[in-house]
Amino acid sequence: MNSFLALFPLLIIVFAALLVLILEVFIKKENRNYLAYVSLFFLIICGIICGKFWDKDYSYFDGYLFLDNFSIFLSFIIIITTFFVILLSMKYIFLQDVNYGEFYSLLLFALSGMMIMVSSGDFLVIFLGLEVLSISSYALAGLRIKDEKSSEAAIKYFLLGSFASAFFIYGLALLYGASHSTEILSIIDYFKSETSLSLMALIGLGLVIIGFGFKIAVVPFHMWTPDVYEGAPTPITAFFSVGPKAAGFAVLLRIFYPYWKVALNSQAIFWLLCIISVLTMVVGNFVALRQTNVKRILAYSSIAHAGYLLIAILAQDNTSLVFYLTVYLFMNIGAFAAVIALGKKDREYLELEDYAGVGFKYPWIGATFAVFLFSLAGFPPTGGFLAKFYVFVGAVRQGLVPLVIIGVLASLVSVFYYLRIIVYMYMREPSTEIEIYIENPALFLVLFLCLYGVLQLGLFPGNILILVQQAVSSLPLF
Amino acid sequence: MIPLSYFLILSIILFVLGTIAFFIKKDLITMFMAVEIMLNAANLAFITFARSANSLDGQVIVFFIITVAAAEAVVGLAIILLIFRQKKTIKSEDLTLMKG
Repeated sequence: MNSFLALFPLLIIVFAALLVLILEVFIKKENRNYLAYVSLFFLIICGIICGKFWDKDYSYFDGYLFLDNFSIFLSFIIIITTFFVILLSMKYIFLQDVNYGEFYSLLLFALSGMMIMVSSGDFLVIFLGLEVLSISSYALAGLRIKDEKSSEAAIKYFLLGSFASAFFIYGLALLYGASHSTEILSIIDYFKSETSLSLMALIGLGLVIIGFGFKIAVVPFHMWTPDVYEGAPTPITAFFSVGPKAAGFAVLLRIFYPYWKVALNSQAIFWLLCIISVLTMVVGNFVALRQTNVKRILAYSSIAHAGYLLIAILAQDNTSLVFYLTVYLFMNIGAFAAVIALGKKDREYLELEDYAGVGFKYPWIGATFAVFLFSLAGFPPTGGFLAKFYVFVGAVRQGLVPLVIIGVLASLVSVFYYLRIIVYMYMREPSTEIEIYIENPALFLVLFLCLYGVLQLGLFPGNILILVQQAVSSLPLF
Repeated sequence: MIPLSYFLILSIILFVLGTIAFFIKKDLITMFMAVEIMLNAANLAFITFARSANSLDGQVIVFFIITVAAAEAVVGLAIILLIFRQKKTIKSEDLTLMKG
């Protein structure tokens, strides 16, 4: 249904971002927490409105922006991510000297970019959303301007990110040249009908995949990921590891769900994705083994998870993909929340040695962190186990057995480095005592919400699975 | 009249040159300029295809890309300036705080 209402969630977020930017001028530096409350308030409103629009199928701008169930569900995922990240940042930006008014505003702009990405079926609009997200992200990564690592992260992210955007837009130019359209469905329709110009279109699609590969951090386009994740402020790292990845995979799903139905020409792209998926799982997990910085370990783990998610794309298993993204949100944000919890004024504890003995000194943080790590590794009864299980079962049903074998072996390797953190926390004698800033109720709220999410999705996933199925059944096909 | 395929070949050459320059140059600003050349190669391709298809879409898209490139330049140059203030250099090989 064509209605102005389809713009509402997006307008609310943009309005909140601008409002925060204006309020920042009038609010004293000590009272900056109010900006967080304002942002949280608008996020809740936006979430409620998205919920009201479920099953309504509003669209606007001649269908360039629409709110089908799929985009609403993905919007939920990224709104919840931003919500958690803001809660995590409230104390962090005071302790680590990132206390700039632009912080929340940039986060909200990045959120608006992702919402544009997930709620459009046109490559040009997706590109614009991607750029809104990327440009805000470059600034966010470098926000700790006194820290040289943070600036280095920002410049690496900026250069490789804009390089990837150039690939994406050139690929789009080739696709446009072949099919005279920028809409995903008509481009794919072209793949079905024509053969004369198809090499150009195939190269175009390949370049688009490369452009997205940078954003979702798959090997061999992952070089920026560990450095950016290490240098950026930790809540922002949590945001990068979940938000853009969810939005990127949503777009890939919109491309490939119809694309696989067109058998013609799809072999080359299929093998390209297969190779990327295998490389991502193997390299991500093996390089993580020799890292000693916890943020870098989590960075490589997030690369590896992109590999498992690609298996779901290859197996045309939309339900498992979206379910995996949901679980991944809770377990990854939770793990980063535990990392953020271990910090005091102007000091963060990020090396593995710092974690020695943490499990006994701070039992709650240690126990929840261990649960998130078990979930990332894929142990039952956590959500991570079910998510991986569904993805692998779906792939076996499609006959992708070799891919599944590599996936299972890779996740066995991953158990080693996840358990290493737990071993440090519970079985090593601390060499130096660490002190942390404990009065942080918002952070503990996030820890327990994520714990609840991981266990709920692992033990009783029924309700969420029904929602996910409704969401993916609304994906447009010809 | 110059055939349209010439423009397309020029755009491909520009794109490849930009990609190569991005990898072999060590200066942050030159790397950024290489990316801009790649974006402009895409612009040229869009205009060529718009002309060959007799549609205005491609020409409108070019304006979007120009806007995006300008916005990227703002943030990018600010970050490069920040790097220069901290390290007094903008060579990419001096960015070695994080490795592995």
